[in-house]
Amino acid sequence: MVSKRWHGRLTYVAMSAFLAWHTAAMVIAPAPDVSAAVQALRVPFQPYLTLFRLDNLWDFFAPDVGRGSQFRYIIEDKSGNHHPFKPTEGLNWFHPSFFWFWSWFNAVIANPEIYADSAGAYLCRRHASLHPVSVIMLEAEAGDFAPEDELAGKRPTDPEFVTVTTVKRVECTGR
Amino acid sequence: MRFGRKILAVLDRAWSEFWFQSSPTSPLEIARIGVGGALLLHYAMATPFLFDFWGEGGWVPRTVVLENTESPWIQSVFFYFAEPWQWVAFHAIFLVCCAAFMLGWRTAWVKWIVLVGQISYDYRNPALFYGVDKILACLLFIMCVAPIGRAMSLDRVRAVRVAKRKNLVEILPQYDSAWAGACTRLMQIQMAALFFYSAIGKLRGDDWWNGDAIWIVFTTGEHYSPFVLDVLASHYWLSNVASYATIVIEIAFPFLIWQRRTRPYLLAAAIFLHVQFAVLMGLFYFSFVMVMGHMSFVRPEWFARLGQAWKRKMGDMEMIYDGKCGFCVRSMAWFLAFDGLGQIRIRDFRSDPSPVVSDAQVEKALYLVLPDGRALPGFEAYRYVVPRVPGLWWQVPFFYVPVLSRLVGHPVYNWIAANRARLSSLMSGKNAISILRARLPEQSETR
Repeated sequence: MVSKRWHGRLTYVAMSAFLAWHTAAMVIAPAPDVSAAVQALRVPFQPYLTLFRLDNLWDFFAPDVGRGSQFRYIIEDKSGNHHPFKPTEGLNWFHPSFFWFWSWFNAVIANPEIYADSAGAYLCRRHASLHPVSVIMLEAEAGDFAPEDELAGKRPTDPEFVTVTTVKRVECTGR
Repeated sequence: MRFGRKILAVLDRAWSEFWFQSSPTSPLEIARIGVGGALLLHYAMATPFLFDFWGEGGWVPRTVVLENTESPWIQSVFFYFAEPWQWVAFHAIFLVCCAAFMLGWRTAWVKWIVLVGQISYDYRNPALFYGVDKILACLLFIMCVAPIGRAMSLDRVRAVRVAKRKNLVEILPQYDSAWAGACTRLMQIQMAALFFYSAIGKLRGDDWWNGDAIWIVFTTGEHYSPFVLDVLASHYWLSNVASYATIVIEIAFPFLIWQRRTRPYLLAAAIFLHVQFAVLMGLFYFSFVMVMGHMSFVRPEWFARLGQAWKRKMGDMEMIYDGKCGFCVRSMAWFLAFDGLGQIRIRDFRSDPSPVVSDAQVEKALYLVLPDGRALPGFEAYRYVVPRVPGLWWQVPFFYVPVLSRLVGHPVYNWIAANRARLSSLMSGKNAISILRARLPEQSETR
């Protein structure tokens, strides 16, 4: 049986060990993977960081802000007509869905190999009433927009500041 | 050898002083209430999108997530669901747990469900999460290991009520522990690390060095604001100042937040920064959660001073009740359990008659005596107390509906007061007649 004194000491040691471990995890997790030493340090912490979702870089708007891209798509129906959509334009700034949808669209643009097919399938189902045969997903990449442009009455979304490229074309199956 | 021991002793003392200072949980409780409320609102608003976001036929099927998941440590309860009702049931349980977490009801285990839920939603659809989800998981984890729910919670109310049921004047001491201090310190380090890495990340970018970062932020689709752009275009120096100020605050924060003198300024600057993010960039949820994380830097004595100031401003309140009425004692125990600041003094008129209110008056109703000598009976007494005791603010809607509250409240109170002996016997299981019989000799004596 552990005496009261030893019980107190063991508790103190256990608490100290956890605090040291978690503090090290909090500091190591966002450290840039630039050296072999940092990479090696991460190894024992990785399962812990991943399981509890603590593996974050805290790189908000860093190193650069990025010009941003807008997700657009075109539904192509069986008659060959194109129905263009700009899904971010109708979003409510005050509703959490604003950032959910933006996050999803950014994920599709950034990682089309992972998300484009499922996004396409979802959009085919969503626009079933248009009898879609395919969805063409587009990225409207913003260019440099200067203060002079703003003072001249222009907007960052004007066509002269935007370059539209195709992210992926996804066929609608089961039509 | 002796020198080594001395060094070890000094290190041990420094370690203990840094981590294990006995502290109340109040900074963590504020964070709990805020984070719980934010989670509840956020995920309640996600309910219409439940299957789109996290379902099999939604944006990202489970197979896509699993195919692109390298680590076996990435886990989500949604990976194991097959039937739609399971999504609905889990979502409902999660929302209830968020509400319970916010209110501090059964906090000891509810907090773990909230953490598991938050991680599960994140990992089920990685395309969905952004900054706020990252910080939420970190704060929730610290709150899970912390002894939260000991103050500003229904758990505390229940504990105080149990003590008051035995003796109404019993005062349950405030919970303090070295582990609460250590967990508060962990949350502080988390916030400091976040600011530090956020700052050094920005220092690697030309947008920040050039002072253009804030301008560019407002030209991007997510944060586009014609009003802000118009202002910045006319006064571009504002963009430079805001860009550099952001970096200065973020880099100063992890170093100067620890000192007693500089902490209030750094805390105010960090909160100001996040209020700007909320108002100008629409990052309401993120900013609110960050501010809740910063609450860990609010010294418990600041809360205590605020409580004392409130208590002084509201003035002394004395409630006179019938100590022989079991129902009244139970009700008082409930009522006083919400009085976390100890603003209400009580007096049992049976053992300690009031010089202001006669016994005959208190026989009919409970009375509240104010410092200016006014005495408010029954419903009006409760109505006066409710907005002045923070723990009772949740009752304000019941007591302050124009006309209706008084129209319903007075007769309901009067009926309860008139039937309190019967209610007491119903609650205690004793026969009302036996209580009345026991009281008859007392009443004849007083006559």
